[in-house]
Amino acid sequence: MSQAAHLDKLPPEPEKATLEGRNKVLGFWLFLGGETVLFGTLFATFIALRNSVLDGPTGIELFSLSITAIATFILLTSSLTSVFAIQAMHHKNIKNMLTWLGVTVVLGLGFLVLEIYEFYEYVAHDGFGFTTSAFSSSFYALVGFHGAHVALGVLWISLLMLQIKKKGLTTVTAPKIYVASLYWHFIDVVWVFIFTIVYLMGKVG
Amino acid sequence: MEANQEQVQDRVKRGRIHEGPRNHIIAFGISIFLTLLAFMAVANSALDATFIKIFIVILAVFQAVIQLAFWMHMKDRGHFFQILFLATGAFVAITAFIMAVYWVWW
Repeated sequence: MSQAAHLDKLPPEPEKATLEGRNKVLGFWLFLGGETVLFGTLFATFIALRNSVLDGPTGIELFSLSITAIATFILLTSSLTSVFAIQAMHHKNIKNMLTWLGVTVVLGLGFLVLEIYEFYEYVAHDGFGFTTSAFSSSFYALVGFHGAHVALGVLWISLLMLQIKKKGLTTVTAPKIYVASLYWHFIDVVWVFIFTIVYLMGKVG
Repeated sequence: MEANQEQVQDRVKRGRIHEGPRNHIIAFGISIFLTLLAFMAVANSALDATFIKIFIVILAVFQAVIQLAFWMHMKDRGHFFQILFLATGAFVAITAFIMAVYWVWW
């Protein structure tokens, strides 16, 4: 079957067309519920320990509002571009879908570069390592865990793009794209709380 | 391409594709606005610290709800289990949060 004829037969919302696809999305929400618990406990730990700085630097000394603002803007925009990818998928426009997924991956990489630079500055110039204080440990655990999620998301979406190129958009591959987009949005929602509770509150004191 | 767009619009009207990008772009605009508001509140040193903290947490919760509703489609029909799963996670998270704020001290 040619690619065009195949796409004509694809239902309007291919991610929800099969029971397997619907179950995949539902199961992924159960996973996101677990992720909420994971990040909730990391946030709680951070909130309990954020003032236990020992002799190490405090949040007010460390954090830069401009870097946090740029990182926030990058991640927020990448969430929107992953929405555009799903919209393109619903329009059965594979080329646009791959383009928007590519933009999402590039923005995710930009966010990671910024975070790695930030951590490097803290460790190399501010003497703020993982074991410096309870504040530093809980900070790196929370923000680092989120960064690891971004890194995994970048890898995941990149691999999905390769798979789409190989297998095309079908009722099997569409739920995977949809679920990856949900994951990416969730990472962005977690970041909303990180920039608020870690960085902005850290600046307030 | 143009004919294709018309077909798409037709399917949107008949409810076969649930929505266009409009709501998602509005959600993006609201998110940017709430983020700017939070950063401006923190940059404004004239405000009371406790007020700023409460204010920015409310903004964060509001932004999270907007993103969950629009970008993650929670506002759409048939999302009971999605809401149940996430609410259960949020319940544990909020319990841990309360414990951290009121019970733990070093």
